[in-house]
This record gives sequence, structure tokens and C-alpha cells, in this order.
Amino acid sequence: MMGLETEYGIAVEGCPVEGLLDAGMEIVRAYPGSHVALWDYRPESPRRDLRGFTAPMLAQDPEDARYDRPDRLRTPAEVERSDRVLANGARFYNDHGHPEYATPECRTVDDLVAHDRAGERVVLAAADAHEATTGRAVRAYRNNTDFHGATYGCHESYLTRRCVPVAALVAGLTPFLVTRQVFCGAGKAAIEEGGAARPGFQISQRADFVAVPLSVDTLYNRPLFNTRDEPHAPAAELIRLHVILGDANMSEWATGMKAGATSLALELVEQGWSPPVAPPDTVAAVKAVSREAGLGPVAALSGTGRWSAVDVQRSYLDAAGTAFGGRDDGTDRVLSEWAGVLDDLQSDPEDAFDRVDWVAKRALLLQFAEEEGLDPADPAMQSLDLAYHDLHPEHGLQMGLRQAGAVRRWVTDEAVAQALAVPPSDTRAAIRGHFVSRHAADLVSVCWSGLEVRYRGRRERIDLGRLAEADLTGWSERLARAVGLDETMTIMSQLEGR
Amino acid sequence: MHIRLEDRTPRPAPPTPQRKEEGEGPTRPDVKRPDNSDLLRRMRRVDPEAARRYRQRSGQ
Repeated sequence: MMGLETEYGIAVEGCPVEGLLDAGMEIVRAYPGSHVALWDYRPESPRRDLRGFTAPMLAQDPEDARYDRPDRLRTPAEVERSDRVLANGARFYNDHGHPEYATPECRTVDDLVAHDRAGERVVLAAADAHEATTGRAVRAYRNNTDFHGATYGCHESYLTRRCVPVAALVAGLTPFLVTRQVFCGAGKAAIEEGGAARPGFQISQRADFVAVPLSVDTLYNRPLFNTRDEPHAPAAELIRLHVILGDANMSEWATGMKAGATSLALELVEQGWSPPVAPPDTVAAVKAVSREAGLGPVAALSGTGRWSAVDVQRSYLDAAGTAFGGRDDGTDRVLSEWAGVLDDLQSDPEDAFDRVDWVAKRALLLQFAEEEGLDPADPAMQSLDLAYHDLHPEHGLQMGLRQAGAVRRWVTDEAVAQALAVPPSDTRAAIRGHFVSRHAADLVSVCWSGLEVRYRGRRERIDLGRLAEADLTGWSERLARAVGLDETMTIMSQLEGR
Repeated sequence: MHIRLEDRTPRPAPPTPQRKEEGEGPTRPDVKRPDNSDLLRRMRRVDPEAARRYRQRSGQ
């Protein structure tokens, strides 16, 4: 079970950075699609750490705090966040000035990619609606940096067994996460340090902002692994492994491979498999792979200088192929695409132009610089980098590649359109989506792990936490046929008692 | 938690955006690198100062 949360960058005509918290809120509130605004924050516990303690407070970025207006505290958090629960089971809200789309819980990579792409359409619809209302142009960017020291994330969640020690998860997954950027890095025409950007090209947007291997913090001193202990599922058995290192990909192939390969690597580690290499300094290794493009040996990966990022990826791929090959079509697809891209990166990275964001971006920027007589170190390269991530269909560079049919797809347009309206049928998101689309007036509150419904004069709580792993395909089909709240509640009662 | 009444009203599903976005999928492009003359025109329209002006709040 997995999910993706993507924070989008926004530019609103005439809006300074100090106004972006309000702008993000207004954009989310402009979303014209079916939703309820009843998010229940009570189950959230951002300071509780997987390692068995509760942090006294979460770190804030002191540079960013300069933009807070003195009257900011007057805006209640739930108003600022403006959470929307959508009919497809997703959550759409304002996270510190960034419209953020959290996919519903997905069991397959195909569903995850379709719902993540549906999130782009939700953001665009909200931006368009806000622009139409205010007359101020809005641009939305699916990237991770503003080139002035601010970053925003694309976070992954994977439901994981709590019996696997955190130390084993970290040791088993770190070499994979450090090196997967060779195929899922979004590319960046800058090296960012100390809040300033200097010319250069690296394969990851996010690597410059990683400060520690693991931490409960997300706004400052960011980790690879966010250790917030918030499973949204039975806590005695499960954790939600929260990876916040990744880039927001424009390439849907890269999004699919990021989630698919990470899921398989996680399964390997859950089964006790250990990688053959351990970076002596995780943070240094992340940055080294990103800045050295990771295609030759990278000393920081092992301390020996014998391993390239592709070599490390192959060790995971080989183990996953042995353990899981032939299991099902979805797994085989990930294994096949994984092998193909590693072969291409090793022989000629340009062969991965149609799949890997950093390869496409670098090629476009270099070609443009050559044709226009620009120095590749010209600051205009960062504007072109930004344009690569622009979701506007007439201005975005990667959108242009999509329109030209020059990028490899993971899902069909029909699957994306369906994901915009319908939750995955086999996860608890189907129940959440059913209530939003059919019984919104009866809902009292919604969160990842449950719902409250007003029924026959009482508040009934529906526990979705215990259904975190359940395959609800048959139940969602029954819900789809249900007529009225009585029948829905009868089905929910039967599901609870099964 | 205070709930605004207008927020509790079910909204009609949005029309699927009819923007010209992309072709059929899933697909595997036939060519290693596309003819990107249109894209280069798009790149020439990019304001070279856009990144200098682009400022964001720090997110997660």
C-alpha cells in the first residue's frame, strides 16, 4: 500500500512571497470539483517519532520565518490549510503556501501514477478557477526548489511491518534511495548551498536540501526518512515509511519507477536482504551522486571508489528479480523497466530521454544554449529549468514533450480521467470516496483512518484504520450499487463484522 | 473544529480539463530524440528573469 504527496510551487501575478500562504489557501478553496471540507486533525501526531520518543517541538526554517506577517497567528490552522477531501479519495490542501495533493491509498503502481497525474489536473483546475475569479494569472510548478533556498517536497508513504527494526529499514534502503536518483532525479540547473544558487547541473532537485539521514523534522534540516510515527493503520503492526528525499517528477514513467522500485526494495529489506554496500556518509553520498551524475564510480557510495550508482541499483534489481520475478504483471513491468533504464544509462544516458527527467532537461538546456549562443552557466538556465516544471499546457517545456508524444507513458489518459473521479476500488479510499460522492451531507469528519457519519440521529464512526491492508474490491462494488445511506451503512456494518 | 457551511456543500464534479495535453498512452516513442523545434520556440519565450523572481515559502 502506498501514496504520494506533492507540494506544488505557485506564482500568482502581483503576489509577493509574503502573500503566498493566503494565495495557496485561495487556490485550494477555488477548486471547483466535488469535495467536502471536513478534515479531522485529531489523529495527527507529527512530533511522535518511530524511534520511540516524542520530539518537544518541530524545527522551523529561520529564513522562511522572516516572511510571516505579524497577524499570521490570527488565521486558524484549519482555515489556512483548507483541507478538501475529494470524491476520488484524495486530500487536497494548502501546505505552507503550496497546494498539495495527496493521492488516495493505492495498491498498484498503475493506480498510484494515475492518481498522481489526476492530482496535476486538480491543481490546474484550482489554479484556473482562481485565475478566472481574480483576473490574476496563476502558474503551478511541479518541482522542488525556488533557487533561493526554499524547497518543497514530494513525499512517499509505504505501509510497512513494524516488526522490522527502523535501523534495519534505514540500513537496507539507504543505498537504494541514495542512488535511485539516476532514474528518478528531476534534474536541476544549479548547485544550491546556504540559500544561494550557483551555476551547475545535477540530477536531483532535492539533494541539496538533505541534511540528515532520518529525522521527525520536515521544514528544516530535512532527512531522507521522515520518522513521524503516524501509520494511519493499526499501530501495533504497521508503520508508514515516509520517504521525503524524492523529487517531484514531470515524467510519469519516473513516478511509476520511483514507487515501483522502492516498493520492491522495501520488500527485499522486510525479508531480511542486505545490500552489498553502505555509504559511510549518507548525506555526502546523496549530494555526490546528484552532482557527479552518478554514472561513474562514486567514492562516497562505499568509501572504496568501486561502486557506481548504477552498480548499486543493479544489486537491488538482481535481488528483486530473483525474489519477485514472475509474481505478477505489475512486478514484472517494474523489473523490466528498471533493467532497461539501467542499461540505457550505462550505455548512453541520452537513450533515457523519453523517461528520465534529468536527461531530458539537460539535453534541452544544452541544445538551447548551443543554438542561442548562451553560456550553460547563464542564470537564464534556471528560468528554463523552472519552465520545464510549469504545468501550463502552452508554456511548460515537459508539457510540450508530452504533447509531442516524446515521453514514455505509464498509464493511459483514460486511466487518469477515471482517477480524477473515482478512487482505487481495492483500498479503503473507495469507502472514503463513496461517502464524499454519495453522502457528503451526512459526513461529520474525515481523516485517513476513519469517517464520522450522522446516521439516524447519531454520530457513527467508521474505522478505516483496520482496513489499511484489506482488498476491498468486492465491497466497493457493493457500495457502488448501494441505494441510499441505509444500504451503505448496512454494507459498512457487514464489513465491520466480517 | 469549526465547519463553514459552504464547505459542507457537495460540489458537482469538475469537467475534465479539455486542454490539449498529450497523446494516447501508454506509448513508447519511436525516436531517441524528438524533433523539438516547437519546443525550442517555447524555450525562446521563457523570460530569462523568471527564476530570479520566483520565490516560494519553504515547504516540507
